[in-house]
Amino acid sequence: MSVLSDQGAAQPISILLVEDDAPTLWRLQDALAKAGFHVTSAATLAEARASLAQSGPKVLLTDLQLPDGHGNELIRETRQRYPDTEIMVISILGDEESVISAITVGATGYLLKDAFPTDIAATVRELVAGHSPISASIARFIVRRTQSTAEPPPGPPLNTAKLTPREIDILWGIAKGFSYAEIAGHLGLSRQTVPGHIKNIYRKLEVHTRGEAVFEALQQGLIRL
Amino acid sequence: MSDAAPTTASSGRRRWPKRATLLVQYLLLQPFIIVLCLVVLRIPPPEPSPRYLVTDFSLRENGVEQSVTLPHFTASRYTMNDPPLYNGRFTRPGSEPQGAWSVMLPRFTNGVEVAVNGVVILDSRRNPAANRPDRNTPEIAVIPASLLRDGANDLSIRLFVWGPITGFLDRISVGPDEMLRPSYNARTLLFVTLPVVFSAWQAILAVILGIMWAMRRHEPAYGVLAAAMAIGVTQAFFQTPLQDSAYSRLNSMLISAAPLESAFVLTFALLFFGWKWPRYGWVIFVPGLVVAAATMVGDATLSRKAFLLVGAPAVGLCLIALAVVAGHSVWRRQDAASVMLGCALTIVLTCWALDLLSVFQLVPNRRILLARLSYSAMLVAIGAALTWRFARALNQVDGFAANMVTLVREAEEKLKASFVREEERARAAALARERTRLMRDLHDGLGGQLVSIVALSERGNAGAGIGDAARAALKDLRLVIDSMDDIGGDLMLALGSWRERVTAQLRPHDIALVWRAVGPQGLPVHPELRPWHVIQIVRLLDEAVTNAVKHAGARRITVSIETSSDAQGVDEGIARGRITIEDDGKGFEPGPNGEAAAGQHAARGLRNMRSRAARCGAELELTSDAGGTRVRLTLPRRFPDSDAAAG
Repeated sequence: MSVLSDQGAAQPISILLVEDDAPTLWRLQDALAKAGFHVTSAATLAEARASLAQSGPKVLLTDLQLPDGHGNELIRETRQRYPDTEIMVISILGDEESVISAITVGATGYLLKDAFPTDIAATVRELVAGHSPISASIARFIVRRTQSTAEPPPGPPLNTAKLTPREIDILWGIAKGFSYAEIAGHLGLSRQTVPGHIKNIYRKLEVHTRGEAVFEALQQGLIRL
Repeated sequence: MSDAAPTTASSGRRRWPKRATLLVQYLLLQPFIIVLCLVVLRIPPPEPSPRYLVTDFSLRENGVEQSVTLPHFTASRYTMNDPPLYNGRFTRPGSEPQGAWSVMLPRFTNGVEVAVNGVVILDSRRNPAANRPDRNTPEIAVIPASLLRDGANDLSIRLFVWGPITGFLDRISVGPDEMLRPSYNARTLLFVTLPVVFSAWQAILAVILGIMWAMRRHEPAYGVLAAAMAIGVTQAFFQTPLQDSAYSRLNSMLISAAPLESAFVLTFALLFFGWKWPRYGWVIFVPGLVVAAATMVGDATLSRKAFLLVGAPAVGLCLIALAVVAGHSVWRRQDAASVMLGCALTIVLTCWALDLLSVFQLVPNRRILLARLSYSAMLVAIGAALTWRFARALNQVDGFAANMVTLVREAEEKLKASFVREEERARAAALARERTRLMRDLHDGLGGQLVSIVALSERGNAGAGIGDAARAALKDLRLVIDSMDDIGGDLMLALGSWRERVTAQLRPHDIALVWRAVGPQGLPVHPELRPWHVIQIVRLLDEAVTNAVKHAGARRITVSIETSSDAQGVDEGIARGRITIEDDGKGFEPGPNGEAAAGQHAARGLRNMRSRAARCGAELELTSDAGGTRVRLTLPRRFPDSDAAAG
């Protein structure tokens, strides 16, 4: 507790919270402020951009469906201009459709809208510490994309070519509900390294530029010049 | 079957008169053709003006002198020594222009040596074509100007005869070369060049038919005809001067060609018209082989005798057999090919008969032999017709292939259309099924929870209750969405998400979740696992956890996942998965029906769990005592296909 308050007193972690639904915004804001974060809120893309221009926050938490655009635009811009900012997407269901598309533009985590206040704060803190959260269904979606099938399965496009076999094994473990400790045991890893692997996986799934996207599409034979 | 027989018989009876009429017409046509042949053959071959004819000779034969008038036949001889010598004279008027004069011999058998004023100017034995009695080769020789005298000149002709056929010398013309040359050329064209052309044609057809046979071994008719033509060509082109003894035996061998050739043609006709090969069919080759054997063992005389006695009749018999085959074919097949072949055979037969009559001097004649020529012409016609037929068959194949391409394309399009329709139908059916399921699942879970939210909000004072209900609704919504995902039969993937949800559910209640999965695999994979199985199992597990939280007051919940390969699996080798949920709560007393006495809500929960387990074919085992409750779900070896219990 003392460590936390010390940290908070020394340098409160700044968060930009972008959410257009007022009750949800209040709820998240309350949970984060109580945990000692410095929260700035925005309800639209324009507001968020203005806020970003003033100060690059440590963490960006954004909804996807915004009145004047899509949250992915904001994520992409933030990722390019403030590479040090940790980005999380706020999702109702944590479904792969929203989470994966956000990950490919630069998000490294997601937050459920109905999560308990303590969980909300804990997740953000973990993210700042370099530990990205991942759900079993997200892991399942990613590993299924690594299996070569004749027809790409439905869902957002995803390039899993950079993932190593070890990373895929970790994803399998998560998809089957094993804890980090159990996965580390099965794979002969140190328990502490597993969360770092998750963040690496997210980073590898990111498509950085348009040129890279084209290159990867070429590599995978998705398009032909 | 009883209907078919009379129909066939009556149609056969109806076809009979038609067939008979055709056969009668065909048979009546043949005498007409014979008469036509005789008329055509009566047209005399080209001859120079009668002005230059020299017909009066004195013949010295066997030491006897007699005066004769050409054309003249002499007896058959078997020696070259002391041949019959014809002595005559011709006059060259001084008024004639000073051009070159020639002696022309339109027809002779078998060889001549012509001398003018005692000097030999022509010996036909050096001309291989002239040595063949079956070719009506004429000869012409220019009289050297130094020999020619104005007025009377001597002309002597030695006629070489080699038996068995008799010698013959046709009327001789002596006169200006330019007057004799045209008719000589005309005869050469007809009787020397034309057979060579036919033979060349036969050679080409032999090659074509041979190739056809090589590519289509199942049609030996082509090969047989190719053999016949090859023999004919050999006979036509391999000829050597008579005096050249090196090949004389080969020369005489060729005599056997005609009977062999006709036997091959007969074989061809039998095969072509689909006859069953007779058991003693090889007999037709015997005459040709006999003649060949005679030439091998005997001298030229014997071989010629053999040919005349065996070969020529064999050729005739073959021709007659061919005519019978063609006639039968006309009767049976009623096609143009049979009629044409029959008519051609009649022509050849007529020529052959006339040749025989002329050889044996049974009719007055000038010994123009045409059987060989007509026979060659017939062979060429057959070969050409076969080639035409083959080309037509190729065209039909092309047409057939094009037709097939069209048909296949049409069928493909139909298939595609029906496939699209079928796919559409299947998709619609799947969608409808999925919708029904989704409706039921949402109704079972989310619907009830939303109703509770409404009820709670109406009470107005139960904020926490609304929160719980809404949370439960969201949890169930996630379950429904999750269950839509294809997990490839691995229930562990569904349990992974369930673990997350349970963890989140237990956290505010401060209940510990102990997760014990035995081995990295956990549960066996069930390819037949469907989303509705998953949803039933997960809801069952949810119910167990909820009971532990709400009614048992548990502090710790343990979930164990294992695969049992115990004694129960004796009948089948497939291992069964087992999921066990244990809590350390106060438990309940199972009633006589396994129902709890602790409250109506819990009782309904237990009933639900049993029903869900039954729908998935799983076994549910409940034990409870003061130390806690244990719910053990043993998965089936194979999940049932249909949701029979769902109603």
